[in-house]
Amino acid sequence: MRNISLIIRRVWKSAFMFTALSVLIVSGTQAQDAAEGRKIFKEKCTSCHSLDRDMTGPALQKIVPTKSEAFLLKWINNAPAFIASGDKEAVEASKFNPNAEMTAFPSLTPEQIKSILAYVKVGEPKKEGEKAGAAVQEEVSGFSLAGVVAVILISIVVLVVLGRAIKMLERLILQKQGVEIVEEEKVSLVAGIGGLFKNKKFVFFFILCLVITLGSFGWMGMWETGVHTGYQPVQPIKFSHELHAGTNQIDCQYCHSGAFKSKNASIPSLNVCMNCHKQVQARDSHDGNISPEIQKIYNALGYDADKMTYDKSKEKPVEWVRVHNLPDFAYFNHSQHVVVAEKAIRKEKGLKPNEPVCFACHGPVNTMEEIYQYSPLTMKWCINCHKAAEINGKDNAFYTKIIEAHEKIKKGEKITPAALGGLECGKCHY
Amino acid sequence: MKGSILAMNKTGIVYVAFFALTVAVSLSSCRDKRSTGLEYARNMYDPIAYNPDQPNKNFANGQTAQTPPPNTDPVGFVKYEYANTKEGYEAAGKNLVNPLPLTEQNLLQGKHYFTVFCAPCHGDKGDGKGHLVQIEKFTGVPAYHGDAASSRGGMMKDLTAGKIYHTIMYGLNNMGSHASQLSPKERWEVVMYVQKLQKIQ
Ligand code: HEC
Ligand code: HEC
Ligand code: HEC
Ligand code: HEC
Ligand code: HEC
Ligand code: HEC
Ligand code: HEC
Repeated sequence: MRNISLIIRRVWKSAFMFTALSVLIVSGTQAQDAAEGRKIFKEKCTSCHSLDRDMTGPALQKIVPTKSEAFLLKWINNAPAFIASGDKEAVEASKFNPNAEMTAFPSLTPEQIKSILAYVKVGEPKKEGEKAGAAVQEEVSGFSLAGVVAVILISIVVLVVLGRAIKMLERLILQKQGVEIVEEEKVSLVAGIGGLFKNKKFVFFFILCLVITLGSFGWMGMWETGVHTGYQPVQPIKFSHELHAGTNQIDCQYCHSGAFKSKNASIPSLNVCMNCHKQVQARDSHDGNISPEIQKIYNALGYDADKMTYDKSKEKPVEWVRVHNLPDFAYFNHSQHVVVAEKAIRKEKGLKPNEPVCFACHGPVNTMEEIYQYSPLTMKWCINCHKAAEINGKDNAFYTKIIEAHEKIKKGEKITPAALGGLECGKCHY
Repeated sequence: MKGSILAMNKTGIVYVAFFALTVAVSLSSCRDKRSTGLEYARNMYDPIAYNPDQPNKNFANGQTAQTPPPNTDPVGFVKYEYANTKEGYEAAGKNLVNPLPLTEQNLLQGKHYFTVFCAPCHGDKGDGKGHLVQIEKFTGVPAYHGDAASSRGGMMKDLTAGKIYHTIMYGLNNMGSHASQLSPKERWEVVMYVQKLQKIQ
């Protein structure tokens, strides 16, 4: 089954490659200029311009086709000087935004400016191949499921046919031997099954099957009661750790800074998302519109992306569904494990230096499109690690303090519970 | 005749065994990842006291985590005196000095926090070419050194400690405020490290 879906996927892929290639060849030379232009554009112009929407400056795909190349060459090279020279068209153009003026770029050569204009004309290169590839992959998984069902159905049919054939053969043999055959009465299906249960061997076999299946289900069920391994609830926003922690390489601490300071790792509030998503709107992959998932962040904050203003009265917090959840009677503290025990846990679980310590318990989060519970979080799981991990007391501020306190106790000096952390809120409250 | 019955039973047995197997396989393979599965005593998991990130019917906005009432400060909270205006920025730049001594330890801390909270945009060396800029998801980040200019006037390499602290507090245009992620001490450690990056030639 795997093979068939693989082959189909390959055929699809090569078909896409072929179309993409032919498009590329046709627009070859243009693409080269545009690629260079795109680079300069991203570096120098994106802070004020977008291709298809007005920002500080006008949308370039709308304005550029209406102007002559000679005018644009002068304008982009040094707009302030051009306006100051009193050119009528330039003065007219400068009225677009009375509060800002365009930076001068005297270092840009006419060729570079032409390549920018080529890029403006062509627009963002389409990523057809990638998108279609993902769709094919989704189809394939549905396809293989249907495949399994088909295999089961086909084997049932084959079995039935084989059963018939055996019967026919037996009859033939008996006929050859000259045995008189009494034509079997047509028994109804229900009566046939009823008859089956009169056969002792069959009943024994049936009960055996039943006991084994139910027994194993019961056993598994009891082991897995209250163990949520693999739990992956649907979240209100399709937030992907694979994208943010993987592709974008944002450190866990950027969003879960609580894990290093307190019991709770904490889920970031939406202002943290806005640090990037005020600008990042994933318009490329949504035909120039704001991604609907990012729009959900804006809606929750009452943020208006066009006016760039917040409206407090429209706030509506996002209700993330909690994944990891210990029963309330067990106390687990993140900072004790992430900061104090970092070295011990890294050694115990054999983490690579570039992997965050979180992976020891939460698994490879940077590959999770949707977050799921990786570890069982059972008491056995806690205990097994606590029996095996080796504490490293060197260069560990936590132990330096403890050793100091113990030295004082040894010497019989005065020591208060406060010196042992007895004032930390978390020692008494959770 | 006898043979024929036996043959029929054999196939019957095969059918039933096959059926049982299919059911077992299909049931065991489709454990629903969207549910927590079987649970004994669910109420043990639901806290009696409210967790900070839980809904809470007792407050008007339905959240447990509340902002302090107006005109109150949490114990130990240091208020930031400067407003998010051009004047506030200039005043902070003139009056604020880093309260932390310039030590190896503080710089090391500052470097860590800078790498986590600022480097995705500003780059490890403060050259404005962090990972997000390199993969073209984020643009328009100025370098801290060289001939880059601040959009509020002056050179980036001449920004004073107070101006950098002010920027962390309130953000600026496309840069958001990082005050909720860094404590005051951590902010000053970052400022110390940024001032080291400003000296890069
Ligand atoms: C500091 C912000 C800023 C930057 C950077 C900038 N522009 Fe502009 N641009 C503007 C503004 C503002 C206008 C509208 C004219 C005005 O109000 O002065 C404009 C207008 C234009 C126009 C239209 C002129 C017309 O005839 O209406 C073009 C074309 C243009 N810019 C190209 C570019 C290119 C290419 C770059 C990059 C090399 C660039 N701009 C970088 C701010 C900027
Ligand atoms: C851009 C911000 C961001 C970054 C970076 C990030 N996370 Fe998250 N994390 C979130 C948000 C938002 C949620 C809640 C939504 C969800 O569960 O998908 C979350 C949820 C989680 C959860 C599940 C919480 C629960 O409900 O039990 C774990 C575990 C987690 N993150 C671990 C990590 C680890 C490990 C890293 C670093 C590799 C990381 N996160 C990086 C924002 C982030
Ligand atoms: C440090 C920067 C950064 C932070 C912080 C951040 N994101 Fe993102 N996010 C990105 C980038 C970059 C993309 C990719 C956009 C693209 O593909 O064009 C992205 C993409 C997304 C997308 C997918 C958009 C789409 O439809 O393709 C969602 C949803 C999202 N982020 C939600 C969040 C949420 C919720 C938070 C807060 C917990 C958050 N992000 C915090 C940088 C960030
Ligand atoms: C020793 C194992 C372990 C390590 C290491 C660990 N976690 Fe956790 N994490 C847990 C457990 C257990 C829970 C459930 C806690 C509870 O329900 O009280 C949890 C819950 C969470 C949650 C959701 C609940 C909350 O506390 O807000 C997040 C988010 C999270 N972890 C993120 C992280 C991040 C980020 C790191 C790395 C900096 C990390 N964890 C390291 C075991 C670990
Ligand atoms: C990957 C290994 C690992 C796992 C899993 C783990 N721990 Fe730990 N835990 C440690 C290490 C190592 C320490 C020692 C930290 C230190 O040096 O104080 C520790 C310390 C503790 C402490 C403090 C002990 C003390 O007296 O200082 C508590 C409480 C604790 N863990 C609870 C838990 C709970 C509850 C779980 C399961 C939900 C758990 N841990 C899972 C490694 C682990
Ligand atoms: C030595 C243990 C201990 C420490 C440390 C501690 N508390 Fe308490 N706290 C208690 C006890 C016991 C009570 C209950 C008192 C009562 O019922 O009258 C309490 C009550 C409270 C209450 C009132 C709760 C209510 O329902 O009325 C708050 C709020 C509180 N503590 C906050 C804190 C904070 C914040 C810290 C850290 C700065 C802290 N506590 C440190 C033991 C402690
Ligand atoms: C999401 C990307 C992003 C992150 C993360 C980020 N910055 Fe920025 N930063 C920017 C952008 C964009 C600007 C330019 C703002 C402008 O001039 O319009 C900027 C400008 C600055 C400036 C110059 C302000 C001025 O007066 O001109 C300073 C200083 C600065 N950032 C410091 C930091 C520090 C410190 C951190 C980490 C705590 C940080 N930034 C994190 C994007 C970011």
